[in-house]
Amino acid sequence: MTIAMPRRTVGWGRMRERPADAVPADAAAGAGFDAREAFAAHGGALLGFAVNALQDRPLAEDCVQETFLRAWRARASFDGARGSERTWLFAIARRVVIDVHRARARTPRLVPHDEHPEPIAETTDPLERLGMVEALARLSAPQREAIVAIHLHGVSYAEHAAATGVAVGTLRTRVFYALRALRGILDEVDTTDA
Amino acid sequence: MHDDTADRHAELVAAALAGDLTAAEEAELAALDAAHPDMVAERAEMEALVARLEGVDAWDDVQPSDELAARIADAEADGAPVPAPAAPAPVVSSVHDAGLGGAPAPATAAAPASLDARRRRRRLLLPLAAGAAACLAIGVGIGAAAFGERPVPVVQGPPGTLGAVEDVAFVDAPAGLAITGALVAHTWGTETVLTIDGLPTGEAFTVVVVGEDGTEYASGAMLGSDVTIDCRLNAAVLREDVAAVEIRAASGAEIAHADVVDV
Repeated sequence: MTIAMPRRTVGWGRMRERPADAVPADAAAGAGFDAREAFAAHGGALLGFAVNALQDRPLAEDCVQETFLRAWRARASFDGARGSERTWLFAIARRVVIDVHRARARTPRLVPHDEHPEPIAETTDPLERLGMVEALARLSAPQREAIVAIHLHGVSYAEHAAATGVAVGTLRTRVFYALRALRGILDEVDTTDA
Repeated sequence: MHDDTADRHAELVAAALAGDLTAAEEAELAALDAAHPDMVAERAEMEALVARLEGVDAWDDVQPSDELAARIADAEADGAPVPAPAAPAPVVSSVHDAGLGGAPAPATAAAPASLDARRRRRRLLLPLAAGAAACLAIGVGIGAAAFGERPVPVVQGPPGTLGAVEDVAFVDAPAGLAITGALVAHTWGTETVLTIDGLPTGEAFTVVVVGEDGTEYASGAMLGSDVTIDCRLNAAVLREDVAAVEIRAASGAEIAHADVVDV
């Protein structure tokens, strides 16, 4: 299919356009994809996923850029009835990050000069870690902050309450529902990858 | 379960998962568990989930930069089936063209004639991007091809412009060593792009970015190779605070340095 579009003299506005001959109107499930709005709404979470998955901000930014590029190209396949735009973008980002992670695993690595040069065996399945990082990235910011403080940094509820001004009971409940959401996201990721 | 009871049960389960229960709360949780065994099963699942969280040892909260938004806006062009603009000079071509005696300057990549060509190029770019912050030692033939696929700078501007590539000249290098380099200013620090020929194979070298106040910022390390080394390294110092970039031997002896202009 040929998509007739003007040259790149138009920026975001053109990404919001749907060329008349690109996708039939009644099949244009992704016609409403607005890259700028999508980036504003989900760019932070996607970047958080990529940065924490790859631990390399420049590379993570490349991944986010690639995610939106692929999303733009595949916008006709997006069906809001089957899932949210956020879920769809994360599915794309997941594939991008996994591809990059695998490519990097085959690439000689740069390490800080004071780091031990011997290879260190990974005790965690890298894909398992990527799934968990994605799930954390998809939580709301308050939920993620609470889980990170309590279960990643080992801060006590009382300490975190003192630091944030949020009551201990509220923090505990927040973490419970964050863990429940995390499990749901992981189930979804596992199902998608199956 | 009544909402208040459910919330209290949830609160106590969360506390139990963190080992944060008082004795009185333990007794209260036991009573609630007895009345609501479904929550016991959920707690067991959450315990397993918390154990899985150990695979993530830290979390870096980040915010997208304006530069990234601009890049994504620009990437939109890759989705358009139009001839690419006349091929601008790839980053590394310009570095080689500095004439410092490195590997022969690769042929400039021809402008992709179609979207497919641009897509092919993009597919090649991604694995290369995977080497960002990494050093690649690549054969001459492969290297030339890879250089041709280097991302084209999308931002132009004087030194210090975020995202713009700024060539820098390394001096005082020993005979037989050819180093060409460039800096890219970012919101999060300064990226150094290096292409090096002639570093003794197997020996370790470090790259240090020196601040205007003399503070040294580690940027990374590499091993010498008998093929071209293609490196992109990052240092946690803003370009405006950078005075020089140095390449050093493992002993700390300076191999070469590049003074940079004030911005």
